Amino acid sequence: MTESALVSAPATPSIATRFADFWRVFRRNKMGIVGFVMLLVIVFVAVFAHVIAPYGPSAQHGVGTSDIYNPPSAAHWFGTDDAGQDVFTNFVYGARVSLIVGFFAAFISVFIGGLIGIVAGYYGGRVENVLMRFNDIMLVIPDLPLMVVIVALTKPSLFNIIFVIGLLGWTTTSRIVRSQTLAVKSRKFVLRARAIGAGNRHIIRRHILPLVMPILVVNAVLVVSAAILDESVLSFLGLGDPTALSWGQMLNYAFGRGAMSTGAWWALIVPGFGIVWVVLGLTLFGHGLEQVLNPRLETHHLMRAQPTVRHEATGKPLRPGPRTRLPSEAPIVLQANDLSISYVSDDRPPARAVENVSFYLREGELMGLVGESGCGKTTLALSLLRLLPAAGQVVNGEIWFGDTELTGLTDEEMEQVRWKGISMVFQGAMNALNPVRTVGDQIAEAIVKHDPTMKDAALEARVSELLDLVGISPEHNRHFPHQYSGGMRQRAMIAMALACNPKVIVADEPTTALDVMIQAQVLELLDSLRRKLGLSIIFVTHDLGVVAEMCDSVLVMYGGVTAEYADVDTIYNAARHPYTQELLKAFPDLTHPERRLVSIPGHPPKLDQLPPGCRFAPRCPLAFERCLVEQPAIHQLSDWHYASCHLAEETKQP
Amino acid sequence: MKRWRYLLGKIGWAVFTVLFVLVLNFFLFRVLPGDPARAGIHDPRLKKEAIEAIRVRFGLDKPVINCFESLNPVKFGSCAVNPLDTQFFIYVKNLLQGEMGISYHTNRPVANILAERLWNTILLIGAGQLLAIFIGVIFGVFAAWKARTSIDYGALIVSLLAWSLPTFWLGIILLFWGSNHGLPIGGMQTPGMSSQPFFARAGDVLSHMLLPTLTYTIVYMGEYMLIMRSSLLDVLSEDYVLTAKAKGLNTFQVLKDHALKNAMLPLVTVIAINLGFTMAGAVQIESVFSWPGLGGAIYEAVNRRDFPVLQGAFLLIAVAVIVANLIAELTYAYLDPRVQSE
Repeated sequence: MTESALVSAPATPSIATRFADFWRVFRRNKMGIVGFVMLLVIVFVAVFAHVIAPYGPSAQHGVGTSDIYNPPSAAHWFGTDDAGQDVFTNFVYGARVSLIVGFFAAFISVFIGGLIGIVAGYYGGRVENVLMRFNDIMLVIPDLPLMVVIVALTKPSLFNIIFVIGLLGWTTTSRIVRSQTLAVKSRKFVLRARAIGAGNRHIIRRHILPLVMPILVVNAVLVVSAAILDESVLSFLGLGDPTALSWGQMLNYAFGRGAMSTGAWWALIVPGFGIVWVVLGLTLFGHGLEQVLNPRLETHHLMRAQPTVRHEATGKPLRPGPRTRLPSEAPIVLQANDLSISYVSDDRPPARAVENVSFYLREGELMGLVGESGCGKTTLALSLLRLLPAAGQVVNGEIWFGDTELTGLTDEEMEQVRWKGISMVFQGAMNALNPVRTVGDQIAEAIVKHDPTMKDAALEARVSELLDLVGISPEHNRHFPHQYSGGMRQRAMIAMALACNPKVIVADEPTTALDVMIQAQVLELLDSLRRKLGLSIIFVTHDLGVVAEMCDSVLVMYGGVTAEYADVDTIYNAARHPYTQELLKAFPDLTHPERRLVSIPGHPPKLDQLPPGCRFAPRCPLAFERCLVEQPAIHQLSDWHYASCHLAEETKQP
Repeated sequence: MKRWRYLLGKIGWAVFTVLFVLVLNFFLFRVLPGDPARAGIHDPRLKKEAIEAIRVRFGLDKPVINCFESLNPVKFGSCAVNPLDTQFFIYVKNLLQGEMGISYHTNRPVANILAERLWNTILLIGAGQLLAIFIGVIFGVFAAWKARTSIDYGALIVSLLAWSLPTFWLGIILLFWGSNHGLPIGGMQTPGMSSQPFFARAGDVLSHMLLPTLTYTIVYMGEYMLIMRSSLLDVLSEDYVLTAKAKGLNTFQVLKDHALKNAMLPLVTVIAINLGFTMAGAVQIESVFSWPGLGGAIYEAVNRRDFPVLQGAFLLIAVAVIVANLIAELTYAYLDPRVQSE
């Protein structure tokens, strides 16, 4: 269960401002507003029943049978019921009963559920175990039959019904509150409060409760609707309070006293309509609340992608230069010209995540794509295979893979290029491999997709061969990803990436989640595979040490643009962009152990608050006035060195 | 090895829950003011011999449980009562022998009455649930796949509306409409059909089943659709779906081979949790449509104050739900390879 957006905010702003913020967002949520209005209407009706109703409650108009089940007329807008009373009047007064029972019963349930949930979640251990086991039992036992039994054995009074519904309705609340309490309990400020010796009750009251409240409120709304439904069912089954004419009770009388056979549809429709109105209003309101308090990013990987904007590539394409560690006749396998990618959304201007980035990759080359979190390197990497999230859009530029221009391909053509031409190794999160399928199966799937003739023995042999290549013994191919260690999983991903003999592998921080020793192993593996198989690799990372060791070229990104792009030796010995220079200063150098590490103060720009000039200017130690107003162009400093800095302008080549 | 321990643990827990329900059931009916056995004794219609027989049969002259008067059920020593000679153990012993008492209303053994009705309920609920799951899953998959489009919003509204309808009221509406269009107004069979050949009888039962099953399906499909949609949305935003897409699989292949199986797992859990609620639906639908099932038995027993039947029906329903819940949990353990231990 994901944490509420409100959980991550500290509880310091005043109640008034919090409510104002909430209202602003809630106002735009159509479902929530509709529900809220529906509730207001029915509460208004209930409160002003004595004003709205044309007759007094339980007024007997005419004692004769001729008044029973009269159809709607001017005197009785919704006709009369089985006792000759006005249906509309009873409906309006019945609202009071149903709402009162619903709210009070729900109050009891939420109180009990909240208490149990917080106590179980906070105190943990035996207490939690016992409470949750009890909760499970009560969850399994069917609610309504139990309620029916208890009310049947005791008095069917309103008070009793409220009590019974309340006492049995807490099971879902306690589960939810417990989960949330567990999530909040391990947050830093709670740990801090405990460390300074704050009492348990104080912590619960001041820290835990405010963060559990949003979820509790959403749940409470749904519990109210459940309570109202429960009361109406109990009344309908004949267990309602005979002195309180709730909607359910009205339906009980109508159904049991011949409304159907006399065709008195008004006696059946009207009370039921009331129940539906209230429950629907509560449900819509509850869902609206949930969307506001607990927003889920309702986007997924299979959504329709944004159309690519086709432009002529503006600006000069890069002139490919030599690389110190590679033969310069090696052909170029992948080239990006002036690539710009934005994230679009309905209510804001597009966020320019990548702007005018160009690079080229020769056969056998290992390029390091370096930058801080949020600089656009992952966006760039994903765009190569058209794997951007639904909001991502390529707004400029071209991607050339050999002779094919990738942004112009159809989806089906792109599917052919994926994995077979270019494959990816994702960050080693647990979930990069499907947890319910075996590893061997998933590797085989990749092979078969691009070569349907492979099957059975040949397929299995190939899978074993791939696993062997990365140092995993073949019996593991029948295992599930959770049975692999972190390093093994990453190596399996690499094996999978090699399955169709691609020309290029894009590795997105493949070692970030691993510990140092395993990191070294995996890196060595990648490098040796590259040499053995003649692969080209784009290695996305923020670790300059790794880059120095393995890469042939480096593309340093900052704030979505190219900061510097050069041969690896040039970057390390002759960096021209201040960002690169600062980055290098922040990394320890074994040859100068006494040198102090300097970190770069500040943080990278937010994509919706990009500065007008150079994006690094706010943090740059060498910035001057021009930097703040004019974004520097990418200057070519030599055959193989590009930097986007005004300071680099003087020494650039024409 | 670990999995066996997990399975045994789950089964053991289910047994414990059944015992809890047994105890709860016993105490509800003996301790609450409307104690049936004692109330039955005061029924003026009963003859002296009958009263005596009830007294002996249910051990009403014996203590309820050991040392009940001092509210200390575990003190064996200082109570001069053999614990096995108490009402509670007589109750348990009777249950183990399949004895659930005699119905006040029909004087038939409760066990017999309920046994007939159990299968009728299973038939109705089974059909309704299967349809609800089937339709709900399909709607849910479409809604998630086309999230945030008009298909999604439409399906969402329909589901929320279906969820807000009181089950019994929907039943009433459908019954009202159905009776004006020639469908049967209640029961499971038209009187006189039992002598007909199988297919005619089956067709007759089906025509009686149509409206209640429809009610059931409409009410529950909304919930399953919402669950499936949210589950599939979660799954489709997982990393392994991106990996699958990166491998070149098309949308249909990704859905079929990676997403659906993973998204169905939480559904199994929800179906398990839901079983208690489906019984609530059964009580309502069976009472509206006079369907001769366990839910209907509860309704009739309440109306006639037929406490032995009420007690037996409640117990049977609770046990059925616990068993079904256990089956669902074991199925989940079978489907999800990550399940090792609690």
